[in-house]
Amino acid sequence: MEQFDIVIIGSGPAGLAAALEIEQSGLKQIIIERENRAGGILKQCIHDGFGLHRFKKRLTGPEYAELFLKRVIEKKIPIYKNTFVTEIIEMENKSYRLTLVNSEKSLFEIEAKALILANGCRERTAKQVFIQGTRPAGVYTAGTAQYFTNILGYLPCKKCVILGSGDIGLIMARRLTLEGAKVVGVYEVKDTPSGLSRNIAQCLDDFDIPLYLSKTVTKIHGDKRVEAVTVQKVDLNLNQIPGTEEIIACDGLILSVGLVPENELAKSLGVELDTHTKGPMVNQSLMTSKEGIFSCGNALHVHDLVDFVSESAEIAAKGGIRFVQNKGEEELIHVEFDEKSFLYIVPQKINLLDIEENIHFYFRSKKVLKNVSVVIRTGDTIIFKKFYHNMKPPEMETISVNLKNVLQNKEICFELKEGVST
Amino acid sequence: MIAKYYQFDIIINKPIICTEENNAIKLEGEVSSWQEVIIAGKVAAKSKYRGVINKITVKGITVPSFQRPNFTDNIIEGQRPDVLIIGGGVIGAAIARALSKWEIDLMLVEKECDVAMHASSRNDGMVHPGITHPGSLKAKMNIRGNEMFEDLAKELDVPFKRTGMFILFNSWLEYLFGSTFIIRNAKKNGAKGVKRVKVKEIRKIIPNIPSDIVGGVTAPTTGVCPPYEMTTALAENAIMNGLKLSLETAVINLVETNNEITKVITNRGTVYPKVVINAAGLFADEIAAMANDQFFTIHPRKGEIALLDKNKGDLLNTIVSQVSANLLKSDTKGGALVKTAEGNILVGPTAFEQPYKEDYSTDYTNINALLEVKLPIIKGIEKGDVITYLAGTRAATYKEDFIIEKSKKIKNLIYAAGIQSPGYASSPAIAEEIERITIQLLKEKREINKKKNFMSVRKGIPNLKLLSKQERGELISKRRDYGHIVCRCEEISKGEIIDAIHATIPALTLDAIKRRTRAGMGRCQGGFCTPLIAQIMVEETGKNMLELTKKGDGSNLVSKFTKS
Repeated sequence: MEQFDIVIIGSGPAGLAAALEIEQSGLKQIIIERENRAGGILKQCIHDGFGLHRFKKRLTGPEYAELFLKRVIEKKIPIYKNTFVTEIIEMENKSYRLTLVNSEKSLFEIEAKALILANGCRERTAKQVFIQGTRPAGVYTAGTAQYFTNILGYLPCKKCVILGSGDIGLIMARRLTLEGAKVVGVYEVKDTPSGLSRNIAQCLDDFDIPLYLSKTVTKIHGDKRVEAVTVQKVDLNLNQIPGTEEIIACDGLILSVGLVPENELAKSLGVELDTHTKGPMVNQSLMTSKEGIFSCGNALHVHDLVDFVSESAEIAAKGGIRFVQNKGEEELIHVEFDEKSFLYIVPQKINLLDIEENIHFYFRSKKVLKNVSVVIRTGDTIIFKKFYHNMKPPEMETISVNLKNVLQNKEICFELKEGVST
Repeated sequence: MIAKYYQFDIIINKPIICTEENNAIKLEGEVSSWQEVIIAGKVAAKSKYRGVINKITVKGITVPSFQRPNFTDNIIEGQRPDVLIIGGGVIGAAIARALSKWEIDLMLVEKECDVAMHASSRNDGMVHPGITHPGSLKAKMNIRGNEMFEDLAKELDVPFKRTGMFILFNSWLEYLFGSTFIIRNAKKNGAKGVKRVKVKEIRKIIPNIPSDIVGGVTAPTTGVCPPYEMTTALAENAIMNGLKLSLETAVINLVETNNEITKVITNRGTVYPKVVINAAGLFADEIAAMANDQFFTIHPRKGEIALLDKNKGDLLNTIVSQVSANLLKSDTKGGALVKTAEGNILVGPTAFEQPYKEDYSTDYTNINALLEVKLPIIKGIEKGDVITYLAGTRAATYKEDFIIEKSKKIKNLIYAAGIQSPGYASSPAIAEEIERITIQLLKEKREINKKKNFMSVRKGIPNLKLLSKQERGELISKRRDYGHIVCRCEEISKGEIIDAIHATIPALTLDAIKRRTRAGMGRCQGGFCTPLIAQIMVEETGKNMLELTKKGDGSNLVSKFTKS
């Protein structure tokens, strides 16, 4: 059985970035990829806008992936493609044994001292947002529609309704329009859009595609192929308002109703999950509750920009390297936060024995806010404050703080304060 | 448990004309709601007649006849089978398999593009223990069918699990009366092992039941088996033994002369069978009417089912339902939490009357009510675990019992009709009985012998995930495609999908592949694998992507090629 220091699961933007980081340490690693090509979901994201933070360029998804993949190939970092992880078990010596399946080597096992889970997220489906009615052809998640359109070259529908103003939904509204389909409208159950402002402008406004807020699809019609959908207004608690039903003729329903981090392997290993992010609970090196298992990218929490996915992978990789080279001790405290203000904060825990370097925090606000300050408090002392003119749930925020010698009472708490100063 | 449709407090003010026809009571008239139609039928069912023909209409509602394929050809024109079975659900398939043991020319017509497209792929897959309706044909068939099921599943390579079932009570009074009632009925029917169980014993098997449960009843013979797989397996085994299966073949009319069916006219040609078996499920009454022999009406009773993510499957390893005052008041009377043979927890089904046989739409209020009532039976499952839900309709007659008999009027027509719950559990027994009646009828015409070379064993598509590591590894070394995982949620390989496409009954639609292999049945509901499966379908069938469908004609997956 082949032994590795670190095994990376997934070769999307997170897996590739982690691999390049690990390569510098000289540790023995391998990437496991279930598809036949590396690059993850970026392969089908042919629109631009990737890499603005990291490379100061507007790259397409494949271009962004290519920048990493090229170096991965140059450095001869091994990737098992078309390979599926069917089981991971923790061994008595604290290493992990992975059972893999592929066509060439059938069923085989490898062992790793550390694992980096970079296996991304999946899309929520029509049923998971409780849309009722029939089950005809023509109901697709935006990602599936994107695969059909961009990879296979087939339009999934000619006239469609898009539910959900998440970024992929907006991107697909433009993409389908450009390919000649009619997008009747984008419907959003919330009273604010879910996607980035730049995507609302560039994908909807520029193409005269209407966006309807506080309206959702409640029913699908048609036995064989979608014939129409019922859209309905909702109140501020997202309850459907009777009598506001409207039937819209279309042959497709495209859903962009949220992404869920994929953590089936993590769950099977007993990794503790965060109910807010649906990803693992991690410390500042992105190590989960299981020693030696790290999580990054959209498997950890859903990011808005790929640049931060790569960044989180590098943090996880550094953590993995340190773990393999010198298993450090842990003394963990929870990062407290005001649940009325924040959707989540990652990392959820701080290892007090490892706070020499800056810690990157990722968070999202719960509501659209203007003129607020993010305050980090320990005891009664404010150790960090940053002012934001605008803050909205679709846009992930990131801050970097050094906590060395400042944590009192082993406590850290995130708060949001209105106004410029307190 | 008294179902809502037995409430006779609604008075029908409109005149209903009652006449006798074909020894049945026939109702005619116009009322203002479907509920009134049902109540009138229920009242008439109390009469001495053998059946109720309910022709009452509702103002403003047109109930359509069954959907038919929209093409015609001559593929089965002039065929003269000894036996023609109408309907490719589990009943038709089980009958076909039973009759394929005999030296006869056997044909089955099914209007859809695959078998098991209606009730047989839209139920909870439960093999009931037979603890209700003592004295009924349903009860008799259920007990016998349950006994036969396990061996049948083994022969046909379909997963079967004898999970047992627990009925829980949260009040001592209901427990006392309820359990006595259930145990007495079970005894009358001959269901084995049905007895009271203490909470302590139940908790050993289902640890996370509510704290207010006072006791329960166990029915250990209860089992589960995927109904669409069973139907496919039965039909495939029958084909191995000579059955001619004609899909997308709808019966348009039956020609009856001197109380004998001489011709069966379909959209794919006219057939001249010696014996016709009506196993047309929801549409059995319409087939009976074509033979001028209607004596019952099917009133479609819809049920909705929700399925939970497999990752919560470990919370239940049996079937559990709860009887409580609260539950009796609710609209979702029946139903349970069922650990399916495939590993998901299934919730439901609901039960309510509505006029449309092929309306499989789900309803927000019903699904919500179902989940609110059923999910609390086990701690740890919640609404967020739901991955999908679906609806099916039960082919109920007003007598609410099976019709398994030779026609009293038409010499060569046999009925397997009104097969509602527990029809799936009963299917092997129904087939056995129909086999007996059919062979007897054929023997009146000529000598019939059993086949010497009947093949009782059928091998299904291997489910590699369930094999031992060694077996799985060996299979992959023999066939590389078994190592290429396409459906990540259910871990289904390209090899299994190819096997399904080239199976005895080829799976040629996305849904058919899903029913055969489970690809697309997991938590992402085909989000990732749909385009991949579509590509495999193109490679294996030589069809163009534009021709591929989800479930037959008109349900195309994609609309346009963008590069032309």
